[in-house]
Amino acid sequence: MGKTYNVRKIVRGIAEGEAIVYSGSFSFLGDVDLGDGTIIAEGNPNKGIQLKDKILIYNETKGSSGGMVVLITLFKKGLAPAAIVTQKPVDYNLAEGAILSKVPFVCEPDGDILSEIQTGNRVRVDADKGILELL
Amino acid sequence: MILNEKEQAMLDGKYGEVVAEALDYLVQFGEAFGAEKLVDISYCHYPAEMAIYDGNVEDAVKYSSRGGKVVVPTTCSTLCSDLEKPEITGIPVQLAHLQAEVETAHRNMGIIETYTCTPQFLGFIPPFGSYNALVESSAIIYYNSVLGARTNRGGLFTRFAAITGKTPLMGYLLDENRKGTHYFKVNISQQRMDSYDAYSSLGMHIGAIVGSEVPVIDGIKPAKQEYLLALGAALATSGSVTLFHIPGVTPEARTVEEAFQGSQPKQSYELTESDLDAVYAKQTNIPVGTTIDFVTLGCPHYNLEQIRWVANKLEGRKIAEGVRFWVCTNRMTRRQAEYSGYVATIEEAGAKVIADTCPVESHMRISTCREFGLKIPNVEAMVCESGKMIRYVGDLIGCKTGLRNKEQCIEIAISGRFE
Repeated sequence: MGKTYNVRKIVRGIAEGEAIVYSGSFSFLGDVDLGDGTIIAEGNPNKGIQLKDKILIYNETKGSSGGMVVLITLFKKGLAPAAIVTQKPVDYNLAEGAILSKVPFVCEPDGDILSEIQTGNRVRVDADKGILELL
Repeated sequence: MILNEKEQAMLDGKYGEVVAEALDYLVQFGEAFGAEKLVDISYCHYPAEMAIYDGNVEDAVKYSSRGGKVVVPTTCSTLCSDLEKPEITGIPVQLAHLQAEVETAHRNMGIIETYTCTPQFLGFIPPFGSYNALVESSAIIYYNSVLGARTNRGGLFTRFAAITGKTPLMGYLLDENRKGTHYFKVNISQQRMDSYDAYSSLGMHIGAIVGSEVPVIDGIKPAKQEYLLALGAALATSGSVTLFHIPGVTPEARTVEEAFQGSQPKQSYELTESDLDAVYAKQTNIPVGTTIDFVTLGCPHYNLEQIRWVANKLEGRKIAEGVRFWVCTNRMTRRQAEYSGYVATIEEAGAKVIADTCPVESHMRISTCREFGLKIPNVEAMVCESGKMIRYVGDLIGCKTGLRNKEQCIEIAISGRFE
């Protein structure tokens, strides 16, 4: 029952894993615990889930340019997500953070991934080919 | 992205590993935003690597140890300490020592140790139409708008631009992204529009309206270089404005039509004195008559003429006990101000000329005070002429603030009471 979406590559790479899906906007600064990389934002249905090895899917990036530093810090600790997918176009600063953290990053899928993919589904991101697959 | 022969050689490692990595990052970044190629840059203003951010100095030192050198004239932005006279700001010694380590790192990489937010005052003026890579929002908007030297809002990747001399051709480097979007007709007398704080307030008002768009500000004739600086710094504070045009003043806008490149404004506004008054009211929460403990001038960093003016005003006078009065500038300008006797005059009055840093970037931030066991808030009530300074110290230092003109700032420092 797979489905494939065309996406825009921001940071190269391939990753497969469990999706964490949030239909709202997300900020690495403030929404994530810097110590263990779990989501701590009130109101985010994925609160308490650790980002490590997950495919983080959300609508758009919000908040301070400090979010970039949080992502890089998580990467250094081995706690960064396996890939990031956003429905909306990429944010300048997070692009810098994702490139430096070598986290595959795609955006602008040609479908409504935020309702069609659920937290816990297995997905595969191939940034180089510009494809997101719901497995 | 299409690379030329030299860029391909850089990517292939023929210029070393540091250059190859930097070019790879720039290519990825450019491709993410649809850039078709890289372009050569004329100048770079390099990120502040401040000791108040955990791991920042360590990263800078580590990066420099890999042997990368900058290949274009590269200056650098502010620090959290006055490196020549650390004791002057009251920074904890440990933090000052950590901060001082970046100086060798920067020197080894060929970066000129300017440690200022206003490198244009030091004569770093790339040609009109050139491509550049800058950090520091107030400098970015000045280079783009006043000098016509093109730059995007740089972040960490400015480092890679300096190492390669390249940046992706995108954003504000392209003609089509430099046209005005919003029209502002300023119906305020030239007499009122003849102070630093008036331009700062105008910028605070317009920036809050346009966000990240390109305002065209018609009907003003800024008489001084620093008025343009104050305007831009404020636009990039209340909004994230990267470029503005003033018809008849800035170089890409000889006329209103040229500013909009022939297209129609998305919105038009008329501004009056009451719009400025509202900014003063919003940024001032010190009750009149209250004791103040901090006055600062030099946001962004003052030039030599501005310091000369302060010295003239303070000559033979004394600021009130309990008031810290900082005049912030860069280290080269301070050296000249010492030579010319301005610093001695200012110090005799009880004020200080600070280099490399400013209150916003200093150890007086709440988070740093907490870490080092300093008094919180470190400042009770601060008065200055800059909307940018006020916007940031309110939150970061946690003090009350008052927006006044520079003459009033000096009188308030002398009386020690807010008026």
